Amino acid sequence: MRLLDIALKDLRQMLRDRRSLLFLVAMPIGFTFFMAFAYRGQQSDPAADHRLVLAWVDQDGAATLGQALADRLAGSDAVRLEPMDEAAALEAVRQKTAAGALIIPAGFSAGRRTGGTPQLVLVTDSASTTGQSLYQVLRAPVTQVMSAVEIANISVEALASATTLDAAARAAEFEAAFQTAQAKWAAANNSARVQTRLAAAPKVADPYGGNPYNQASPGILVQFVIFGLVTSAQILLQERKTRTLQRMLTTSLSPAAAVGGHFLAMFTLTLLQEVLLVGFGQIALGVDYLRELLGLLLVMVALALCTASLGLLIGVLAQQDQQVVLFSLIAMFVFSALGGTWFPLEVAGQAFATVGRLTPMAWAMTGFQNIVIRGLDFSSTWLPAGVLAVFTLGFFALAVWRFRAD
Amino acid sequence: MKLLDLALHDLVRSLRSTFMIGMTVVAPLLITGLIYFAFSGMASGGSSDLPAVRVGIVNADSLPAGAPLSESLGATMRGMFFDESVATWIAASDYPDAAAGRAAVDRQEIGVAVVIPAAFTADLLAGREGAPLTLIQDPTLTVTPLVVRNMLVSLLDGVSGGGIAIETIRERQEAAGLPADPAQIPALIAQYETWYADFQRDLFHHPERAALVTRPLAVDQATTNPMANLLGMTMVGQMIFFAFFTGAYAMMSILREQEEGTLARLFTTPTDRTTILAGKFLAVVLTVVLQGLVLMTAGRLAFGVDWGDPAAAALALSGQVIAASGLGVLLIALVKDTRQAGPVLGGGLTTLGMLSGLFTANMPNMPALFDQIGAFTPQGWVLRGWRLVLEGGAAGELLLPLAVCLGMGAVLFALGAVLFRRRFA
Repeated sequence: MRLLDIALKDLRQMLRDRRSLLFLVAMPIGFTFFMAFAYRGQQSDPAADHRLVLAWVDQDGAATLGQALADRLAGSDAVRLEPMDEAAALEAVRQKTAAGALIIPAGFSAGRRTGGTPQLVLVTDSASTTGQSLYQVLRAPVTQVMSAVEIANISVEALASATTLDAAARAAEFEAAFQTAQAKWAAANNSARVQTRLAAAPKVADPYGGNPYNQASPGILVQFVIFGLVTSAQILLQERKTRTLQRMLTTSLSPAAAVGGHFLAMFTLTLLQEVLLVGFGQIALGVDYLRELLGLLLVMVALALCTASLGLLIGVLAQQDQQVVLFSLIAMFVFSALGGTWFPLEVAGQAFATVGRLTPMAWAMTGFQNIVIRGLDFSSTWLPAGVLAVFTLGFFALAVWRFRAD
Repeated sequence: MKLLDLALHDLVRSLRSTFMIGMTVVAPLLITGLIYFAFSGMASGGSSDLPAVRVGIVNADSLPAGAPLSESLGATMRGMFFDESVATWIAASDYPDAAAGRAAVDRQEIGVAVVIPAAFTADLLAGREGAPLTLIQDPTLTVTPLVVRNMLVSLLDGVSGGGIAIETIRERQEAAGLPADPAQIPALIAQYETWYADFQRDLFHHPERAALVTRPLAVDQATTNPMANLLGMTMVGQMIFFAFFTGAYAMMSILREQEEGTLARLFTTPTDRTTILAGKFLAVVLTVVLQGLVLMTAGRLAFGVDWGDPAAAALALSGQVIAASGLGVLLIALVKDTRQAGPVLGGGLTTLGMLSGLFTANMPNMPALFDQIGAFTPQGWVLRGWRLVLEGGAAGELLLPLAVCLGMGAVLFALGAVLFRRRFA
């Protein structure tokens, strides 16, 4: 069958080119390792202290509030305090040996007790996730300590309205009420009243099933299947440029067979690439792709079809080899970023996430994540595969229209 | 001057190449633009572009008889998520039971289902442990569950605070031998709740009065858009990666001319080979300089990137140019033809860029290993220089990275030049 002949010819051509192996397999494997290693950070060492380091600058002397706050944070599993002076603290933040520095200014306790508004200053990069995490960790204990101050003040006033208190008695009563309230806040522990359960069936309680490759492996796979189009699209371009394709069409070969043969080659190559990367993920990285084999195959086939139709479109639109590379790179960057392969769409703005969810790669990611992370069954892959099929038809129709125009 | 003529000829040829323009300018700006599109709305404080929080509420709670509350805590929590003030960034919906909530999470209709058990209010008010609130979350999400959890804990803290206030005041009155006065309670609760509401409002909306405020490290960054810092590092990572690509691709002109046969013809002219090669090397330097200037200008105008002290930025750019040009000369000297150059440039530079931290410049808590590897790559030292620039470093702090970049660039260039001279001797 001529369609098969053309497909086999293309495949032989592509696989003879060692560059193909580099871009199709070696680079995505390298990137997968790299990104998962980067996301894992220091978590590989369970004995290490992974808490955020907070440089502690207490300029308030022996006053109560700074110490009370330090006591509240002493048992924290999110932050570790390191007392130092301001200059050393700022240098530690600059050198990134501390995630931030909390400065308790002189007169803070006295000011807050008397209704003033002195401020605790957290020196950190508030645009970073570390800085934001640090702020969130501090907000609750700061609120509770300030609450204890307010409760103590109310208690003193309530007592003073019923009996006579001199300055020393007021101070003693404040201290006693403050300590009482502090103890009750420590016992309240409202965090323990909110428990989290993951919605799928992972083996561990951590997001992404506790395996950093669960996000990295599908993400890199989806990103690099697009770039793998370069080789196959270049073959189509070469046939157009050298007029080989036009000569073939003067024979009994139908245009459908010509297009179909190239499409089949692109599809086969992309599917082979996916099989290799899925196999690598399953065996070497512990990503449980095979837990839902039928669903996995459905998503892989749908992604390969969509990518092949995109490759066909690039091969038809480009006029030079370099344009194939450029178009493929742009498609890879745009679809990968919007599809949530670089970072989860939930951390992006609403507009970006909305647009991203309209792209084929976002649906491919959803299909893989449903299997690998959410632990869902075959039925969860129908919708992603269906959407990918719609994109396949769209790209294919554009490619055929452009092909006919040429 | 022939050297300049040769350099300008190659430079113009590069600028006429759509591929070259695409890879040197369009691609880095596109990637940075995508990041800008993803996060710019949030950085400007526009609530309409906060990540959407889709939450489902399963409320089985009820108000126990005699409770000093107007509604159950479950109803209060539900109301918090349905409140109009958060409608632009929280999409809340009700579900009849935990199974329905879980199914909605599985279908990705919602990111988190909040299951409020029966008697939650009764248990909290009585100080009993009781059944906890359960958040059933999509395992691919981290931000949404955290936001929902913080909101719930904050609300519970508000309720607990009122209870703690009453208990503390009563205990202190007992300790002082005073009789308890129930008539005082409502006024004291109201006083505490007013304080709590004002305190929370100040924390989120009035930083000048808030008990806890954040401040950037450098005072002159206090008014800088935090997004500019994020984009700055992204822009730097992309600029460095594509600068090294540009350095190598620009040098590819020598391979192209060799394949086209024009190089051999050039060598037959009275212009000596040293001048010809020097002209090509100069073209590489000029291309990388031009690329750097264009990207820095575009970064400033389009994304508000603050390139800091001009002298420091000039030093960082100089280091980048020399290192990128030197490595480009060497890489192309090692390949036989343009076909080989593809994998060498694509694979080699991408790997080096990855190991140097160019693609993870914004990620916190990277393993120390990457810093160590970056110390052995020219890209790593260029990145160090630009990081100092973006952090507001003065020119003097750039001397070490610049010196290393110059040294590495010179060595790489010398090796490449020797190889070229042997090839074309």
